[in-house]
Amino acid sequence: MPEIAPEARFMGTVTALTMHEMQNILAIIRESAGLMGDILKVNARVEFKHRPNMERTLEHIATHVDRGKGLLEATSRLAHSPDDDLLDGCDLAVYARTVAQLSERLVRLRGAAVDFTPASSALPVAVGALRILMAGYRAVQWAVGAGVKEGVVRMSVEAGQEYHALSLLPPQGAQQDREGLTVLASLLEEGRVEWDGARLRLFFPVRKQE
Amino acid sequence: MDKSAWNILLVDDEVEFISTLAERLEIRGIDARVVYDGEAALKAVAENEPQVMVLDVMMPGIKGLDVLQRVKEEHPKVQVILLTGQGKTRDGIEGMRYGAFAYMMKPLDLEELIATLGEAMKASQGTPNA
Repeated sequence: MPEIAPEARFMGTVTALTMHEMQNILAIIRESAGLMGDILKVNARVEFKHRPNMERTLEHIATHVDRGKGLLEATSRLAHSPDDDLLDGCDLAVYARTVAQLSERLVRLRGAAVDFTPASSALPVAVGALRILMAGYRAVQWAVGAGVKEGVVRMSVEAGQEYHALSLLPPQGAQQDREGLTVLASLLEEGRVEWDGARLRLFFPVRKQE
Repeated sequence: MDKSAWNILLVDDEVEFISTLAERLEIRGIDARVVYDGEAALKAVAENEPQVMVLDVMMPGIKGLDVLQRVKEEHPKVQVILLTGQGKTRDGIEGMRYGAFAYMMKPLDLEELIATLGEAMKASQGTPNA
């Protein structure tokens, strides 16, 4: 089993507990806003000047609670990734989506966006969750590279016999450095990285059923 | 199915969350009792056995999974829907092993909860006593 530094375990434990509190906070906001919406619907015939503003505000709250829920899910997965049962192997389909969620902000700061195509089934790999998150996030950083002002990073997963892959198509105009590929390869350990000039693929060994 | 006849118990230490959820269910014609910890939940089940219990996993005092185990031992007909944290699917899976009907993650989707309550209600009517 790979070793995890006590510092990483500490950060994971504290973050997981804090995320649990955040989840309760979001749940209270959602139900409270939902109740206000329910009351407006029950009193649909009662007109008042600011009804449209209130309805619009409630829609904003719902939208951003959903957004927060996505971030919470991804951060919780990050926090739990040093758990013992996630060190030996995990589902690439789940953690590829987590990489996409966690890197949204990073990509948006470059004026770009992430477009993630989810897998249709589980893709078990013999690589720890934390390793996938580290390599995946670094790959997104590399993919947006320098010189990007807009565009889309397209992420998907590809199933294979010996390896499953996380695939990234950088936005047009991004300038990637070759040294970055060496760093990525060092993060992959038993996997490998491929760059064909247009698409980056991180290959992770398939976890064979015992 | 007549929702007004449903006997539901909601259990969560987050008072504002669970009481607001009960109000929203009430607007939809579903009356639910509310308690705020595991001990009160066990007492409420003993006094008036609900058909379905919605139970938070992480609470101070008696933990949700311990409440689940005791309820399923003493009141096997009660169907339990667990509320788990994001990224804590392990709790939900463990809960299913102990006999939970389903697990859901907060923040909840109310319509999804009501649909799950309906399915759990049907299961409670068809569950044998042992």
